[in-house]
This record gives sequence, C-alpha cells and structure tokens, in this order.
Amino acid sequence: MDDAQLEERVHECGQRLAAGLAGADTGGLRHPLAAGERRMMRSLIGDPRLRAALFRFVDVRPACHSRTELVRHLSEFLEEAGAGSGNARRLARLTGRRELTLPTAGAAGLGVASMAHRFIAGEDAQAAAPELSSLWEQGRCVTLDLLGEATLTESEGERYAQRCTQTLRALAQMSAGWAPNQLLEHDGLGPLPRANLSVKVSALTPHLRANAPERALSAARDRLLELLRLARELDAHLHVDMESLDTRESITELFLELLALDEFADGPPAGIVLQGYLTDSEEQLERLLGWLEQHPRGAPFTIRLVKGAYWDHEVVLAAQHGWRAPVFTDRRSCDRHYEHLTRRLLDARAGGMALRPAIASHNLRSLAHAIAYSDALGLAPDALELQVLRGLGDDTAAAIATYGRRVRVYCPVGDLVAGMAYLVRRLLENTSNDSFLAAQTTGADINLLLERP
Amino acid sequence: MSTESTFRNEPALEFRRESVRAQALRALAELRTKLPLRIGPASGASASGELLSYNPANPAELIAVAPDGSAADARAALVRADAAFASWSALDAGTRAATLQRAAGLLRERRLELAALEVLEAGKPWPEADADVCEAIDFLEYYALGALALDQGRLLPQLPGERNTLRYYARGPHAVIAPWNFPMAIPAGMVSAALVTGNTVVFKPAEQTPACGHALVQALHSAGVPEDALVLLTGADEPARELVAHPLVHGIAFTGSCAAGQHIIHAAAQAQPGQRHVKRVIAEMGGKNCIIVDADADLDDAVPAIIKSAFGFAGQKCSAAARVLVCEQIADALNERLAGAIQALRVGPAEDFACDLATVIDAEALARINAFLDGAEHEPRVQAEVPVGTGGHYVPPTLFVDLPPSSRIVREEVFGPVLSSERVASVDEAVRIVQEGDFGLTGGLFSRSPQTIEHVSRLGIVGNLYVNREITGAMVGRHPFGGGRLSGTGPKAGGPDYLLTFVEARSVSENTVRHGLVI
Repeated sequence: MDDAQLEERVHECGQRLAAGLAGADTGGLRHPLAAGERRMMRSLIGDPRLRAALFRFVDVRPACHSRTELVRHLSEFLEEAGAGSGNARRLARLTGRRELTLPTAGAAGLGVASMAHRFIAGEDAQAAAPELSSLWEQGRCVTLDLLGEATLTESEGERYAQRCTQTLRALAQMSAGWAPNQLLEHDGLGPLPRANLSVKVSALTPHLRANAPERALSAARDRLLELLRLARELDAHLHVDMESLDTRESITELFLELLALDEFADGPPAGIVLQGYLTDSEEQLERLLGWLEQHPRGAPFTIRLVKGAYWDHEVVLAAQHGWRAPVFTDRRSCDRHYEHLTRRLLDARAGGMALRPAIASHNLRSLAHAIAYSDALGLAPDALELQVLRGLGDDTAAAIATYGRRVRVYCPVGDLVAGMAYLVRRLLENTSNDSFLAAQTTGADINLLLERP
Repeated sequence: MSTESTFRNEPALEFRRESVRAQALRALAELRTKLPLRIGPASGASASGELLSYNPANPAELIAVAPDGSAADARAALVRADAAFASWSALDAGTRAATLQRAAGLLRERRLELAALEVLEAGKPWPEADADVCEAIDFLEYYALGALALDQGRLLPQLPGERNTLRYYARGPHAVIAPWNFPMAIPAGMVSAALVTGNTVVFKPAEQTPACGHALVQALHSAGVPEDALVLLTGADEPARELVAHPLVHGIAFTGSCAAGQHIIHAAAQAQPGQRHVKRVIAEMGGKNCIIVDADADLDDAVPAIIKSAFGFAGQKCSAAARVLVCEQIADALNERLAGAIQALRVGPAEDFACDLATVIDAEALARINAFLDGAEHEPRVQAEVPVGTGGHYVPPTLFVDLPPSSRIVREEVFGPVLSSERVASVDEAVRIVQEGDFGLTGGLFSRSPQTIEHVSRLGIVGNLYVNREITGAMVGRHPFGGGRLSGTGPKAGGPDYLLTFVEARSVSENTVRHGLVI
C-alpha cells in the first residue's frame, strides 16, 4: 500500500470513528453534567486568565480547611484574573457578595468535586468496582492508576506499594465475575489479563534522582519485585508509567532488569510507556525493541505509546537551566513523530515480535492512522490496542468500541487531595490551544482534524 | 545599553544525561593525576610557609600547596596593585570589559575541570560545583556589560549656557577577601566588579580553597589583566588583616562571617597615617533564613524545596534555610514528611552523583556544628545516616521540631545541615519572627493565596524572598543577591547597583556662554 492509499484509509477510519463519536455525543446522558462542562471548557479555552484562576482554585481546593478559606481563595484568584478577563470580573463580583459567599463556596466545592469525579473512578478499586464492571459491559477494558501525593519518604513509598498490592488483588477478584469478551481478553499472542495495573515507580521510592538513576534501582527494586510476583501469581498485567524525563532512566533500567529475571520468564504480562513528545523517543523505542529481542519471554510485552503529559514541565525546566528542550515544541512535528513511532511499533509486531502495541491518544487522526496502518500490514484487528483516559476520552472510547477495536480506559483512583494535581494536568491538556480535544470541543471541521500532520 | 536585555545566564551542565556525568568523572580522574596542584608565590613575595588544602571527604588527599602569605606579602602585593592603578584605570571601559569577557570564555573552556576542582577542594557536590563555575562566568559577563553602561555616565538636567556631565571613576587598589563556600563565583563577582570599573585588586581566597581562587586569577591574567593589576595573595587571617588596615587600600569587598565582617567595617573606618581617602566596605555576611509555610501550602512542593534549601551543600550557604515557620494547622503533617524526607537523604563524598549532600568544609567546621548539636542533646531530633570511618568531615543532616525560642539552634547561625521547625499561629506571626531576627538575607514563603503572597512580598522582610520555591541558588541578573540588617551592607551582588560601590561619581559643569553667545 502506498502513501496516498494509506492516507485514504486513514481518512476512512477517521470518518468512521468520528461517526461513532457523534453517536456518543448525543448519548451524553451517562454524564448529566457533561454538556455544561463542555460549555465551560469552551469558554476556558478562549479565556486564559479565567482558565488560570479556576485551575489555581482546583489546585488549592483540598488544602482549604473551611468554606471561608475556600471562598477567600476563589475570590482572590478571580480578582487577580479580573484585570484581563471580563468573565473573571463578573465572577469575582459574584463571589465577593456576602450573602452569596457560603452558597458560592458550596457550589464551587461541589463543582470541583464533581469534575474530579469525572476523571477519577473512585477512592480505591473497591469504590470504583461498579464503574469498572460497567465499562467492561460496554466493551472496554481498563487499567488502574493509583493517584497519590508525591512520595518523599520511605513510609509513603511503602504505603503506595501496599495500595498497589490491594488493588491488584481487588481487581483480580472483581474481574473474575465479568462476562467473557473475546476481543478484550485475547490476541494472537495469547490471553490478555482482565486485571491491569499501571504503577508509578516514583511513588514506590523517595530515591529517584535524575543525576543518579542507579540509586532507585536498589531503593525501588524490592517493592517492584514483589508487585511483579503478585501480578504473576494473580495472572494480572503490570504496567509501569512514565513521568518526567528525569526519571525515565531509573524506571526503564529497573523494570527491564527485573523482567529479565528467570522467575519472570513466563509471566506476568508487562509493559512500559513510550513518550512520543521526547525528541529522542525513537532511540528509546529501539532500545526497548533491542531488549525485547535479547530477552525473549513467554509473556508478551506491551509498549504504550503516549504523547506525554509533562510537556510544560520539561519546557520550563530546560529553559530555566539553559538546556535545549527535550520535547518537540511544534505540534505538527510531534504528531508526525507519533505516527512514525506507531508504524515502527506495528512493523515490529508484524515482524513477529511478542510485542503488544498500545496506541494511547485522544487524537482521532493518530488513532485512525494506527488502525489504517495496522490493517495495511495485514495484522489481525486484535493485534492493536487503543487506549484513552477516563473522563477525557469517554466518547472516544465509545467510538472505538463501536468500531470493533479493543479499547482500554486508563482509570485513576484516589482521594480528592491526591486527585487534584491529576485533574489540573488533565484540564490543562484538555483546554490548551494545541489540544486535539479542544479543537474538537470548539467544533473544528473533521477533515481538518484528520489532516496529515 | 541595557544589561538586563542582553545578559543570559550560563547554562548548567545537564548531569541528568549519562554522557555528561561520564565526562565529569573523566575530568575528575584527570585532575587527580595532577595533584597536588602547586601555586607559586606571586613575584616579589617573601618565601613564607605553605598553605595546604585537602579533600574534605578524604583529608589524606592533598589538593593544593600554596604560599602561606604574611603581612609583608600583603604589603608587597598592595604596592604592586597601587603601581598598576594608573595604567589600568586609564584604559577605556570597553577594553576592560572585553578582557573580562575573554576571561569568561577561558573559564567556559574549562568548565568540567573547574567543577571537578571544586568537588575536590571544597567538597561541593557536582551540580552545585558546576553552578558555581557558571555563576563565576555570569559575574564576568554581567559586570562587563554593566561597566559599559556605567561608562555612559548619567544624564543631568541641562540649562541654556550650562553643560553638565557626570562620569564614574575608579578609586584605587581594592582588597577582595573571599569565602570557600562559593570558591569561584563569589570572588569572581567581587574581583571583576573592582577590575572592570578600573580599580586594581589584591585577592585573598579562603585558606581552604586556594586552588579555586588561583584558577580564577589565572583566567583573568590569561585574558589580559596585567599581573600587577590583580595580585593573588593566598594565606590565612594575617594577610587579610593587613590588607584591611593598609592605607593604600581604597575599598574592601568581603563575603564571610558576621563577626569578621563587623571587624572589617570597624578596622576600615580607622584612617591610617598617609591615608587620604575613606575606605569603602562591601560586606556580605550571614543569614538565619526562615521559610514560612502557610496553611494552604502544597506540601508536595514545600517539603522537597525546604530539604534542598536546608541541606544542599550541607547547609553551608549564607542563603540556606535554617528555620521553618509553619502554620499550626499543617505543622504535624509537614514535620512528619520533613522527618521522613531527611531520613531518605544520602550523605557521602561530593564526587558521588548519588549523594544528596556531602561533607562540611573542615575539621573546625565539624567541631563547631557538633557543638551546636551536643548543646541540644536533650532535644528530640531526626537525622540521616552518615558514612563512618572514612575520615571525611560528615555531619548528619538534622531536624529539630518545636525547640524553645531560646535555643542556640534557633537563634544563631549554624552554617551546617541543621534545620529547626517551629509552629506559628499565622503568616503574620511568622513575619514578625523574621523581622525580629538579627539577619535579613533570604527567606521563603509557601502559600497559594495571591493576597498573602502580595502582602508578604510588599513588606520587604528580607533581601531575597523566594515564593513557592527553594530559597538558595540566586542567579546573576535575575535574582540580585544580598540582605539587610546584620546580613550585609548592600548593594546587591549580580544586580544593577553593585558596580556603583567601586566607583566615584564626578560631575563637571561648564559655562558655555561667551559674550552672550551660547557655544
């Protein structure tokens, strides 16, 4: 298949996904607040000052010890934003009126909590159980992510490891009762576990150091080892997430070292994340593929390709130190590179590697490209997994399921305090100018959205 | 020309990349083959004793051998600097600025080697050692630009028939007395400010770090500063006292302890026979810096920033955090996390990238800090482990919680890895505590309330207030550095006013009317 033919196929897939999206949109009854929130998102995209004010409020919300504190912060943020935003000025006047103060606090607090609930499936796996099984019934599998405060001490690392253990057990137990689903549970490489946990190595230990990646190897080793053993025992999938570039080396080294141990030769199925926005992500991918070739395991290895969620952090850090930014600073180059990595992953799978490519994106073009290219290689439909985030990618997930492809929903669980940082990151992503979802929310033409980057 | 618009900080080495760390370790190994470094006596100096510097992590490792300068050496150095003044001050500002910029280039070429030298001689961990070399380069570049701007003079009001001008002039030989904790950056700032404005300099580096001082002087000489316009004087207290008291000295730039600084200010005020000028003193002294933590602070951010501020380079920075003043609503949570974070610190030799902090500078510092810790023997504390049996000067990073206000650890500058956490009822109470302190150098505030931040910022309670970040690591140009009260005389280093201390303004008013005609 030549380039032009592939492009044609990408557009076809994209149109089909978009049709599914539209269907999901009209069925927005699942989230009664969704329409209102979409409206709010739209107004935030056009009003950066109001956006900053509301994000700061979301950020500080769990640290407010009383309603008075809540109102004080909200009015301060709005007042500061008021200089450049009429919306913020109007809201500031509203929150400043004494008779409205307490109801405002209540509403603002509830608003944040309900927004958080859209993104966070529950306080823990147990609380999220109904949501997880309902997703399964809708033809979507899941991976759980445990939100938490930063791990700065050993006991915090230990506590996170315990939560991971409990979550793995709870997932194994609850998912045993789910109805069989061929697409979600099997691919050409074998069975796919229903229980799937995404782990943050930085939460397992306070010893991650950018300048000394080897330090985390010993510090986090035992905890990650135990989790791998438990996953093998429960026949669950264990995935390690990627975070900022400063931690990539530690996470990669440690995880690959452990997976190469004899005891894990036949399981558990495991995976890692590749961040496409890093300019050296292709080298990182080659390193992973090289490792995979040298360490053939009985259990398949998943590489989840994401764009990356720490873009602002990486850019600011680099600027403050006078370094070249390690990420693409141009959206189109970044999207092009993402497609390049997608093809490299699918090529490797088609070449016979025990590799499960997972394309995690809310960008319809990126998803359509993955499907079209996978089909062009003659891969079976179950060879490709697509992934989205809960809250942001609900409609996309529905569209993918309707399309008949496997979609996995990344479901964060945790309490409100822990959830706020996550929520702010997601909201930022969702309302940034470069965001695909933002373009979608503001009603951009589907053909433009599917254009080749 | 605006200094602020053209100046850029020297980028730090990206140690998070394995290849850069490998280069650094190679530079260190290479330097080790040349040890001990031998620093020759300045020409004309008497053959005095030897001054030796050692690796604080391994006091058996000799780093450098330098002359132990005497009072007579100080006098000889000043005579040379005085003789060189006429020709150096007569150069145009552009020539001197270009010389500094060349020196910056020479330091830039030796980045890894110089950082390695600081690792070994000052026990400074890699990222901080490299930052110090960068800051030295920054000072040379920044003051070069500043001197060019200063050379334009100032615009004065002009009336018909009257032409008014104001120009700045060099003053004479200066003494620069520098500390060991920023062994290249701080002397680079003081020396280059004096030189670029046309003064000559006798520079005495700290006795613990003569090789770092020598490296700086070498760069400036190679760049074209005449040997006599900048004279290196290694040694201990004796030559420093002589410099301060000597009538040929026009100005003294000093960074160090509060006691030494006050002594210098006092001694410099006594005119000597034959002295026809008033000596100026810039003294940057101590700090007892507080970080205020508001009830709405994000502890995920505050804890690592406090740890870095208090324990980076084992607390041996005048900007380091010594006290945390935390609002009581979150005091328990903060203290618990601080304690756990301290126990996760790794202490070891500065050359080991995996260590968070290293030694203190020497046996004397070790004994002084241990005396503080021993004096609080009954107080509960949290400490990290330190390597034992290496002979290195290790002090365990230590946290005290809720010490009585009368405790020495709360009141006095420890200059080591010791932090005290105290509860306050409100940010206002914390502000009062800061204002009542002897020092006013740096301070921190963690808050998410815009009004609280604005309120505390406006009060100007310290020289450098850092909001929602660590309180160390001032960048030249971006964070002009220096404090009030007993922390120093000002003006701020790396800021727009610093050079003014090294010059004298002179104005000319010319009558331009001849026979009623304005010419």
